[in-house]
Amino acid sequence: MEIIALLIFCLFLAVFLGVVAHDLYKAKKTNTPFRVKNCIAGILMIAPAVILCFLFILLPMLFSLGYAFTDYNQMRPDEVHFVGFNNFKEIFKEIGSGGDMLYAIKNTAIFVVGVVPLQILLALGLALFCSRKVRGSSIFKVCFFAPVVISLTVTSYLWLTILDPSEDGLFNMLLGAFGIPQQQFLKDPKTAMLWVVLISAWQGCGYQMLIFISGLTNIREDLYEAAKLDGANAWQRFIRITVPGLKSSVLYITITVFIGACRIMVQPMLMIGPYSEGLTLSYYMFLQGTDYGLVGKSSAIALLMTIFIGLVTFVQKKVLSKK
Amino acid sequence: MKKSVKKIIPMQNGGQTEVEVVKGSSGKVALNVVYYVCGAVLSLFFLFPLLYMLAYSTKSDSAIAASAGTFAMFLPDFKNLGAAFNNYKTVFIDYKIGEYALNSLRYAIISIVLNVIINGLAGYVLAKFRIPGSKFFTFIILFLIVVPVETSIIPLFMVVKRMLGFKGVANILGIILPATISVFNVFLFMQFFQSIPKDYLEAARMDGASNLKIFFKIILPLSKPIVATVSVFCFIGVWNDYLWPTMLLVDNKDLLPIQAALTTIRGEKDLSEGAKMASLVITSIPIFIVYIAAQKYIVKGFGTAGLKV
Repeated sequence: MEIIALLIFCLFLAVFLGVVAHDLYKAKKTNTPFRVKNCIAGILMIAPAVILCFLFILLPMLFSLGYAFTDYNQMRPDEVHFVGFNNFKEIFKEIGSGGDMLYAIKNTAIFVVGVVPLQILLALGLALFCSRKVRGSSIFKVCFFAPVVISLTVTSYLWLTILDPSEDGLFNMLLGAFGIPQQQFLKDPKTAMLWVVLISAWQGCGYQMLIFISGLTNIREDLYEAAKLDGANAWQRFIRITVPGLKSSVLYITITVFIGACRIMVQPMLMIGPYSEGLTLSYYMFLQGTDYGLVGKSSAIALLMTIFIGLVTFVQKKVLSKK
Repeated sequence: MKKSVKKIIPMQNGGQTEVEVVKGSSGKVALNVVYYVCGAVLSLFFLFPLLYMLAYSTKSDSAIAASAGTFAMFLPDFKNLGAAFNNYKTVFIDYKIGEYALNSLRYAIISIVLNVIINGLAGYVLAKFRIPGSKFFTFIILFLIVVPVETSIIPLFMVVKRMLGFKGVANILGIILPATISVFNVFLFMQFFQSIPKDYLEAARMDGASNLKIFFKIILPLSKPIVATVSVFCFIGVWNDYLWPTMLLVDNKDLLPIQAALTTIRGEKDLSEGAKMASLVITSIPIFIVYIAAQKYIVKGFGTAGLKV
């Protein structure tokens, strides 16, 4: 492991020195020399960030990439073999035979398809609500954002209590008042993921709301005034002025919510557990890497996820920025 | 309340016309009432689980059963403060939640200080220094921001394990160090520092101030908003982190931060539900204090986040 890390470091150093040489050559050509003392101070000051970034961000990333093509196992870390695309073949075989991987994909898909539109629409609605210029609207903003700062652990445990499947659970009590029979909520394999979607949207939408609000404040007020004078009604003003004005916010939010949704792990982990209805891609990857020790397979899943997310993000960017 | 708004609208021929918009007073009041009612209902939608948690934590198990099904479920039990005291006492004395909270606080504070200094210095160099090869660093930062780096938590765990071993204090470093580097923060600092006029720095340099002195005495004080934003988000991140410390501190239960300790507390069979809720309340209080105190900077942080794409 150390040797590979050292090799990677040397590679980076070589590229860096290449850039340095290029810069020095250019400086000489344009006759704008660097000040040596300044350069040394600068390099010393940036060094901590560079070292930490290399150790804790780049190195794990590159190791993950490399392990995807090996049979690295935590039980026998000294025997690592290069196995080519075997991990990927195994994963696809598992999808084909309806194994856990298929459940993970299914659950992640349910979550993403549910949470992305729900959370964005909720956030947009709340942002429009808060942007009304009335005294006290900022208090509402504070309330709507509050769940965002609460930890996933607390909200998960809290909702487990509220959605208790027994008749004493808060929601079952509420439903009972309307004569609806007792529900299992998170304990029912059929509805578990749906509740995770609802809880995540409840907790997360305040975050996107703030981004939408900062997008709304960037829309020029006089556009609305002019439209009003021209006799445009509220809906027309919304479609013709607000929506185009929020384009860059929507692009940013769609991409970040999508990426976040694909990585969903802690909520199903705490609220559902390692059952087929609770496995998501990240969670499955995590379990494979820790409980089963199959770092190779786990890294292969991570690589597939990265490729998938990267591709979808790219397409989203193209499609959304065209409109 | 009658309000008339005068609007000056430029005419095409260069002149101006004044339009007076007078709104009906009663209609506007009614609209405001509807608005506030809707706002209150929506706020309740977001806050009711938290109110429920707070109320629950003040009750004994029998009081919880007694208030079930009534509105009292959402109200703290003021008549029997002894039960509330008992719940909180149990988690503080028997389950030592205060010590776990202190652990979290320590990790958060050290991470914030290091985060601001390390990323700030990097941002300072990239914004204000002309050094050969700085393009290389900028490229890596932009690359890491744009490319969605997926879940390398297991390789990260292996790197940290290999580097630090698994002995006591080394684990603390394992929690703190990965939280101190954030390319996005370097990017934020860099953008902010670029707007600081070069004259300030030149003047200080004339007076013989060293680079570090300039950074701590001039750059950081001038950048209070961005420092506050980064600190707040760093605090929320470290305080709320659950997975990473749980992985790292399997054998050092004493060093666990509060989020990981919650899992242990929740698993206790002979602990009352009220006391479990009390532990959730204790976990949320510091984050709420920071949130209320630093709202301004959180909102500002989103203003800058919007610039990202």
